[in-house]
Amino acid sequence: MNKTILAAIVAALSILAVGPATAEPARDAILADLLLQAKTADGGFGGFAAERGKGFFLASPASGKPDTPSCTTCHTPSPQNTGKTRAGKEIKPMAVSANPARFTDPAEVEKWFGRNCNSVLGRDCTAAEKGDFITFMASQ
Amino acid sequence: MSAEKGGTAVRIWDLPLRLFHWLLVLSISVGAATGFLAPAWWLGVHVWAGYAVGALIVFRLIWAAYGSEYSRVASFLFSPRETIAHLAGIVRGRSSGHLGHNPAGAVMIFGLAALVSTIVVTGFIVLGGQEKHGVLAGVVSYATGHAAREIHQVLAFALLALVAAHVAGVVVESRLESENLALAMLTGRKRLAAGRSAPKMRSSRPLAALVTLAIVAALATAGGATLAGMPPLGLRDLPPNPVYAKECGACHHAFHPSLLPAASWDGMMAHLDDHFGEDASLPEATRVALAAWLVANASETWDSEAANVFRRVSPDEPWRITATRYWKRRHQNIDPTVFTAKAVGGKANCNACHGDASSGRYDDQAIAIPKEKS
Repeated sequence: MNKTILAAIVAALSILAVGPATAEPARDAILADLLLQAKTADGGFGGFAAERGKGFFLASPASGKPDTPSCTTCHTPSPQNTGKTRAGKEIKPMAVSANPARFTDPAEVEKWFGRNCNSVLGRDCTAAEKGDFITFMASQ
Repeated sequence: MSAEKGGTAVRIWDLPLRLFHWLLVLSISVGAATGFLAPAWWLGVHVWAGYAVGALIVFRLIWAAYGSEYSRVASFLFSPRETIAHLAGIVRGRSSGHLGHNPAGAVMIFGLAALVSTIVVTGFIVLGGQEKHGVLAGVVSYATGHAAREIHQVLAFALLALVAAHVAGVVVESRLESENLALAMLTGRKRLAAGRSAPKMRSSRPLAALVTLAIVAALATAGGATLAGMPPLGLRDLPPNPVYAKECGACHHAFHPSLLPAASWDGMMAHLDDHFGEDASLPEATRVALAAWLVANASETWDSEAANVFRRVSPDEPWRITATRYWKRRHQNIDPTVFTAKAVGGKANCNACHGDASSGRYDDQAIAIPKEKS
């Protein structure tokens, strides 16, 4: 078999293996990396689930900073909506269908999870939580 | 009217003088209304009133030399003795029978001229120093402009008092002379006392006045153009910082670095994990670079109005611009619903109302409060 075709098949299989493909290589790479981390942390981790991501997004943990009790404080309960920062700036929708550029820059993804998990939850998010979140937003 | 007056009316105030008088009334009224009552963004109208008053004063000085008889300054130069005698006459209810300006009126003219001229000059110092606008923007510091503002304001109140005294004087003299002096300043005519013949009056020299006016205007234009060509003192064009715009501008208006002193930026950038109630952490290299840029362009390095007023930070929250006494004072009369309106979205969103916020200028004339409410 041709080497290129072999590589393509391997790549396709590896994408299938990490869960629902989002048809965006950069986002898939981010998810693949998170899956690796999640499996490292929990050997029995079975893959990301949009439903868990939805619950995580809509929850009001209120365990972080007082002004940001939940994700929806700024992002609104609908991922399709344009959100608003506490300082009045618009936040582009989180849903990938409404904003295809979401979750395609690993540095941005790490920066915002780093900041917002601490603001809302008062701790870092786990790789599983991040992956569920992105999977949910990619399905929206 | 009184029986002592004959029917003969004589034109004593020439047309340019009357135009001068009433245009001055109009310009000063506009200046007073915009200065005392109007919101800050009426500054442009206020400044134009100032230009008009200045030009009228220059014209009046020239007309004092080349106008017709009673416009000339020589016709109303009185000795202290004459002035005291005239005032004593007023007290006793006697008219001194001056056809042109009487000694009390002359004192008023010189007083008004000096006061109005000083108000115009101090106004342009304020405009140049505080707002970095007008002909003096390139030469006057904020501190000088601020000091001139105090003088400008005190003298403006003094002018109100002097205008009141002027009107009172006209009322009193009108009664004593049995002649409506305000009307005379409109028509230019006063009636002669019975048995008095019209005095010999020199006519105006419009050509000489025009030539002088042209020379003064040419000199003023040349001087004004030279001054206006100078860059505003203590302002500079800050090249845009794309990293700052992206990282800080993602959540809030990218505040101009001149709005806080170096110590405030330094302290703020050292605690990004708790940034106004949120975690705004940055990769260390980005954080260090942005902190250095902010400190290098902090308020100490500017002489704009905003840089000067916000240098006095709140002792409790030295990094919060809206906590400064100046910010609170200047925004206290704004309806709170303005800040919650969709188009504004909060106190921190300076550029919702200040069209030039990103340049750090915060020109009074660039203020436009969005009308729509949420």
